[in-house]
Amino acid sequence: MKPKTPWSPAAFLERHSYFILTLIFAGFSALPFYWAASLSIRNPAETFTVTGLAIPFLQYQPTLINWIEELAVGESQRALLNSTIIAVGTAVGVAVLGAPAAYALSRFSFRRPANKDFTIWFLSQRVLPPIVTVIPIFMMMQVFNLLDTRLALILVNITFNLPLVVVIMRQAFLDLPVELEEAAMVDGASYLDIFLKISLRLTMPSMAAAMLIATAFTWNEFLFALTLGSLDARTIPVHMAGAVDTRGIQFWFVGVRVLIAMGPPVILAMLVQRYIVRGLTFGALKG
Amino acid sequence: MQPRTRIKLLFLLPAAAWVLVWTIFPFFYGLWLSLFHIDFGGEDRFIGLDNFKRFFSDRNALNAVKITFLFVLGSVTVQVILGLLLALAANRPLPLRGLVRTMLILPLFATPVAVGFLFFTIFYEEGGLVNGLLSIKVPWLSSPGYALIAIIIADTWQWISFCFLILLAGLQSIPDDVYEAAALETRNRWKIFWHITFPYLQPTLVLVILLRITEAFKVFAIPYTLTRGGPGNATLVLPMYAYRAGMRFFDFGYASAISFMAFVLVMLFIIFLFRSIRQAY
Repeated sequence: MKPKTPWSPAAFLERHSYFILTLIFAGFSALPFYWAASLSIRNPAETFTVTGLAIPFLQYQPTLINWIEELAVGESQRALLNSTIIAVGTAVGVAVLGAPAAYALSRFSFRRPANKDFTIWFLSQRVLPPIVTVIPIFMMMQVFNLLDTRLALILVNITFNLPLVVVIMRQAFLDLPVELEEAAMVDGASYLDIFLKISLRLTMPSMAAAMLIATAFTWNEFLFALTLGSLDARTIPVHMAGAVDTRGIQFWFVGVRVLIAMGPPVILAMLVQRYIVRGLTFGALKG
Repeated sequence: MQPRTRIKLLFLLPAAAWVLVWTIFPFFYGLWLSLFHIDFGGEDRFIGLDNFKRFFSDRNALNAVKITFLFVLGSVTVQVILGLLLALAANRPLPLRGLVRTMLILPLFATPVAVGFLFFTIFYEEGGLVNGLLSIKVPWLSSPGYALIAIIIADTWQWISFCFLILLAGLQSIPDDVYEAAALETRNRWKIFWHITFPYLQPTLVLVILLRITEAFKVFAIPYTLTRGGPGNATLVLPMYAYRAGMRFFDFGYASAISFMAFVLVMLFIIFLFRSIRQAY
């Protein structure tokens, strides 16, 4: 047994400094979420009278009236519905378009342009500042008569998330042993059969993760939602910004709306942790 | 055509065509629009490079360029340095590691608009969280300098975990035996970092910096909601300035020119980023 050194704060800090550092960091990440929750269950009258950390029960009596009031508004419900439809529609769209493309890039070789260049081609949207295409796409949607429709937002969000699905699925297919597919081919299966019944089935976890990340990103998208979906196709972020425009910043509702807005993407993020590094570095790092 | 050639084109073409229609075409269409004076109800007038000339003599536009650069420089520097330090600290067995990791991922997926409003309440000068908690009276949102700092802090809250996660993944891919071999030579931790960790980590570090720079140039939702570009024009970043010109003043030609300039500013970094991604594939 090691000889026990007497406990002292300095020795404790020394031994656990790394742990303490990461805990502080985790606290820094968590604090704003806590603050939003604290605001959302506070009586509007107590917004500025309760100070400091504003701990519920200790410093004030929590209430659910803000939640009830916010969720009863028709506009909020419609924004939630719009955001859900657009996010799910996008996820399905990127899967249908992106998975075959990723399969082609991982299984077949293209000479001109080469596979790598195709992958970069898909990434071009991801790095281009979106502001560059806002006005042209606004005008295109005007021509197609799609302004202020959910379809318009699904179309642009498919564009934004396609690279993500292509890079995640490309890596997933590359990690799959080719022998399985070759065996099936010897048995006379067609390419489409092999893709659907073997490759896609075996990479389902990656596909699900890519779709969930696309859902979260679509849910969060603001610039195009603001430009193309002013009224009928208003999403949660636009609804949030709009409510503030008309009524000023009401802290208690900000608390509620922040949690409504952040809830779904944050929960999705927890489900797909393993794929996040791969997705965010465009597959340059496996993570 | 051989079936193999046909099938591979069939798989790839829809997505490739999609990018052509929704990314490449709008990009060039925007460039084309920037050569016109577009008047709603009136006739579009071809004016050559006048919109770009206007950009270079527009004090607000040049100010937006400056603000954008300050923002990118400030937030990327802070995030990469802190992210690296934290990754180095966390690159060892720690209690509750899974939980800590989960906590850190959450801000990354938080809705940027909500982040902006949330930090508005946090930085609110009377009764906000920061001033209240620390018992200070910092004019976070009404002083130009502090407003930019507030935006950088909100952006850092959202993105620091990105740097942390990627750098941690980079650190964990360094093989253990390299460290074991080094431990025979020296016990100086700084030397080990400088001669082993750093060279191994360098490609990842470059990748993180480039990804963050290209992403930071897109900044829009946080200043739009946290400071609305203010006070005055102190946090009016280039994408917001272009958005205003286009969607508020409906000056589509000039807005396209501003947007294109926003692209030119980041273009060099995009080229470097693509080069570094190609190497990694």
